[in-house]
Amino acid sequence: MLKLWKFQISLFGILFAVILLEASIIPAAWAPLRVDFFIGMIIGQIIFVPFSQGFPFVILGSLILQAFSGARLGLIPLLYIFTFMAIEVLKNLIYLENAYIQASLGVLFYCLIAAATAFLTDFAYLKGITVPLVVGALLTGFVSPMMAYVVGRLQMAYELEYE
Amino acid sequence: MGRSGSRGILLIGAAALILVLLSTGQYSSSSLGISCVREGYGIFEKVIRSPFSFIAGIWNHYIFLVNTSHENEVLRKEIDELRVRSMNLEDIKNENQRLRAMLEFKEAFQDFSLIPASVLSQDITHVFKTVLIDKGSRSGFGINTPILNPSGVVGRVIAVSPHTAQVLLITDPNSSIPALIESSRVKGIVKGREESLLSLEYVRSTEEVNVGDCVVTSGLLGMFPKGLKIGYVREVKKDDRQIFAKIILEPCVKMEKIEEIFGIAQTVEVSD
Repeated sequence: MLKLWKFQISLFGILFAVILLEASIIPAAWAPLRVDFFIGMIIGQIIFVPFSQGFPFVILGSLILQAFSGARLGLIPLLYIFTFMAIEVLKNLIYLENAYIQASLGVLFYCLIAAATAFLTDFAYLKGITVPLVVGALLTGFVSPMMAYVVGRLQMAYELEYE
Repeated sequence: MGRSGSRGILLIGAAALILVLLSTGQYSSSSLGISCVREGYGIFEKVIRSPFSFIAGIWNHYIFLVNTSHENEVLRKEIDELRVRSMNLEDIKNENQRLRAMLEFKEAFQDFSLIPASVLSQDITHVFKTVLIDKGSRSGFGINTPILNPSGVVGRVIAVSPHTAQVLLITDPNSSIPALIESSRVKGIVKGREESLLSLEYVRSTEEVNVGDCVVTSGLLGMFPKGLKIGYVREVKKDDRQIFAKIILEPCVKMEKIEEIFGIAQTVEVSD
């Protein structure tokens, strides 16, 4: 049980570092650019962590992300929980433990989340941000396997510590 | 009930929770939990920033200056002479400009208190345009507090916690401000639109609107004081078949570059 708590606390520590990157550091370099590290964490959860532990993390993590957006309450959690459920279904169809597949899923879900957010508000708002959107999708694809690897390593580290 | 059954119930429960949250309508993200997250992030951001400032300070003030110590004496006399002449003229000039802008602000809005604040972070999504600032209810910020800088209107506060506040920028799709064209006094509503631009809506096609006209707050609804600059008319499209003209504005404030802002509060409670 202690192992589980340590693992979850470590994940939330990483999540806060990721928020610092997503909300402060990356926009300081290029204001319209958004890189989504959370998709990679979701992929890592699905591959390495049991559903009963991964799902609460995604719910709580997405609620925390909600605090950093002007979106109506519930929109961000809704999008990320659907992402989680979609990847959970895909787990039975494709081999997720492949970095290229993880990168492709990162790009795909980044685009889907952006499209869904725009669909719930107005598609016109995506018009002016095509370039940062494409760059953001590619960078998300790049970081997704890395984040999935971090989650896997973290899980392994706690397993080893208690063996 | 099998594992898949309980998972199904869990998913349905989560979806129902989200739908209930979604149905709560307008921004209600000032809840205790979310406020705690923002407060935590505010502290976290400051803690993360401080070692970098410390290292930069050591680099700039010690390591970087090791080889310049002997040059220092040679240059000291020259510096003393120049110091008398310059007397920090540049600093004084900059300070003068800042104070002049502040004074004009103060004089223009004597009934209000201006509260300075800094931007901590930006929205994590593409579509919504909000920023998190480092001052909250303890400094006098509240829901709908107007936010501006010397260039013009920035937005309004939509969520607040004791030490942070979330600001909805005027370029956000959900933002709308009663406004008027300064020269012709034609009224309309300024809304956020794509590409960080604004649109002035509900202006009749028969009204005269020219490119370059300045658009200011009208003071209606009482949220924003009257006469604050919002933007300039960039494009006007009129169609005889349409009742209203399509007017696109360029905001006075470059939203991508805002760092320091002011909030207008009628009462300041406690300063930090």
